[in-house]
Amino acid sequence: MHERAFPVVVLAAWLRGAHVRIWLSLSRLRSDMMFIAHCIAITLYIAAAGLAAVPFARAIPAPVRGVVWLLSAGIAMHVLALADFVHVHGQPPLTGLGPALSFAGALVAITLLVVEALAREVSLTLFAAPLAALLTVFANVAGMVAGPEPDGIRGVWLTSHIALSFLGIAAFATAAGAATMYLVERRELKSRRFGAIFRFFPPLETLDRVNHVAVVAGWLALTVGTGLAASYALEYRTGHTLKVVWALSAWAAVTALTVGRVVRGWCARRAAVITNALFAGVVALYIAFRVIDPLKGRFL
Amino acid sequence: MALIVAGLSHHTAPIEVRERVTVEPPEVPRVLADLAAETEAREVALLSTCNRTEVYRGEGARGAVPCVWSHLGSRLGSDIAGYGYVRRDREAVEHLYRVASGLDSMILGEAQIHGQVRDAWETSRATSHAVLNRLFQSSLDVASRVRTSTSVSRGAASVSSAAVQLSKKIFGSLKGRRAMVLGAGDMAELALQCLMSEGVRTALVANRTYERAVTLAQRHGAVALHYDVFWEHLSDVDLLLCSTTAPHVVVEREHVKQAMQARGDRPFCILDIALPRDVAPDVGTLPNVFLYDLDDLQSVVEANLERRKQELPSAEKLIAGEVEIFWTWVAGLAAVPVLRTFRSQMDRVREDERARALRKLSHLTPEDRTAVEHFSRALMNKFLHEPSVRLRAASANGHGLAIVDALRYLFALEPADGGSPENASPEDTPEAR
Repeated sequence: MHERAFPVVVLAAWLRGAHVRIWLSLSRLRSDMMFIAHCIAITLYIAAAGLAAVPFARAIPAPVRGVVWLLSAGIAMHVLALADFVHVHGQPPLTGLGPALSFAGALVAITLLVVEALAREVSLTLFAAPLAALLTVFANVAGMVAGPEPDGIRGVWLTSHIALSFLGIAAFATAAGAATMYLVERRELKSRRFGAIFRFFPPLETLDRVNHVAVVAGWLALTVGTGLAASYALEYRTGHTLKVVWALSAWAAVTALTVGRVVRGWCARRAAVITNALFAGVVALYIAFRVIDPLKGRFL
Repeated sequence: MALIVAGLSHHTAPIEVRERVTVEPPEVPRVLADLAAETEAREVALLSTCNRTEVYRGEGARGAVPCVWSHLGSRLGSDIAGYGYVRRDREAVEHLYRVASGLDSMILGEAQIHGQVRDAWETSRATSHAVLNRLFQSSLDVASRVRTSTSVSRGAASVSSAAVQLSKKIFGSLKGRRAMVLGAGDMAELALQCLMSEGVRTALVANRTYERAVTLAQRHGAVALHYDVFWEHLSDVDLLLCSTTAPHVVVEREHVKQAMQARGDRPFCILDIALPRDVAPDVGTLPNVFLYDLDDLQSVVEANLERRKQELPSAEKLIAGEVEIFWTWVAGLAAVPVLRTFRSQMDRVREDERARALRKLSHLTPEDRTAVEHFSRALMNKFLHEPSVRLRAASANGHGLAIVDALRYLFALEPADGGSPENASPEDTPEAR
């Protein structure tokens, strides 16, 4: 009898524990504005991508206004979450893996919105909005815990370097998104398929221009960001080998691309292929470094 | 209220009939005046294009349809009724809405008809009044809504526009681009015209007979080239349009390969609209070369038309809603004169009874007489208030015509002078209320 009752007792205890855990989570949820705002932002980014995909399934015009509205609302919620982080921790969301990823996600979304406003196209949302959502999800999984940050001029120096570097990486990601779309659409046009991609993707010329502008803007931001990082490392005798290798690799990749585009006249397919190859290389290197050295909760 | 459209279109009549019946713009006022006089119609409008000739008539049209057939038949020289169709009331409204939206056109969703309906309305202004004015105006609004809220007009529907659509998919805008046209025939000219209208900066024309190239180039502000040197310029252009009558391939892979080496990574679009083809098929395998032939352009057109067809239910639903709105307005318009007659008749009765009562009550003071006057007016207004409100509500709900007839019958109302819809003041219409 006692043996029969044991599982029931264990289950009851577990359920009691689960109940407490759920209650605690809910009360945390209620009080955690940062988490809620992040969740809403993620939902809105995914909704924007879903809405941008609707014309591919049904013969309707691209819902530009709806996508821009959803994306803007997502960015607003994301900024609210980051503002709450600043309010709670008293520092910008740049140090620490979670805050840095969330900041990167917000930058990708903002860059996307700027590109859409300039190019009057929303199909880039298909690639960039899920990327922003994914970065934000990872940020919350890793935990929005602030890393150590120096005060005074040293703090400003570090913050500027991180912010500019993230901006550069976000622009590089946008260039890669445009390049992917270029290659997909080019394949459709070369193989004479006139389906949904033919109808709803922007012209090849527009995608190439987005790639060009994003590469140059990314290079400018990353050059200044890396310059600030180098001077910071020299001044305060700090640095981490893997971090330096990755940062220099990313900068070298964007620099090579910029030189190729601006000086050597790369454009169209060649520029798109090289952009994607370099971006994939930079992402792969980052993942490899994180596997080698978990970096204990830091982005780099 | 009777609204009738009688006419013929590409659905019912062959081109030999349509071309003889078509009314040229200078003739329209005379034809309209004749039709209005013959049928005592208050309102007449005529829509005549290469694909249709239709007469729209408003209230008061007696023997309208035979008159239209006889008029159009006299142009044809034989009986035309077999080629024609007649739509009445709601169906007539729906018909014009469909026509203006391009749903009844030979190429589904074509936009030219919108302008033609507007021109027809402008030309018919002298003989169109409240109902037809409103009908044509609303048809243009509905057509604009159909075009903006559905995809029924989207995508190229002809080979030349498909060529432009394809080029734009590669280059974005064609403004400032350089193009070369091989050949100087009709198709080449049409394509050149299309390219120039899209803002192509420089167009080069090359033809085996140089003089023909010069003639075509001069007509469109392009530059003529000798046929044997056009290779030298191939690397300078973004777009090559081939439309020669050569029985063999004119553009070989090697020619394009050399040009592409000089162009670097910049894409090059070749549109081969010649039959037999001018460009070797393996040219399309070169990197950054986008080659399309007549079949490709045709499949773009077919895909677009298929998508337009898929949009038909949405467009028709929108039109059905607008037809109801228009017909509710028409029904409300019919109620206005009857309501006015009804009230004036009741007021006459009230006035007679008040005068009779005051004759018997001669001892009343002026203040008492005024009170009796007010009483009679107030009583009449109270009695008439509910029927008036209900008649207006019924009109707004689209049931006005039956109730108007009942009212006419019950109170033996005759239409009052000036009670026609055209003379109704704006504040009498249901919307104004």
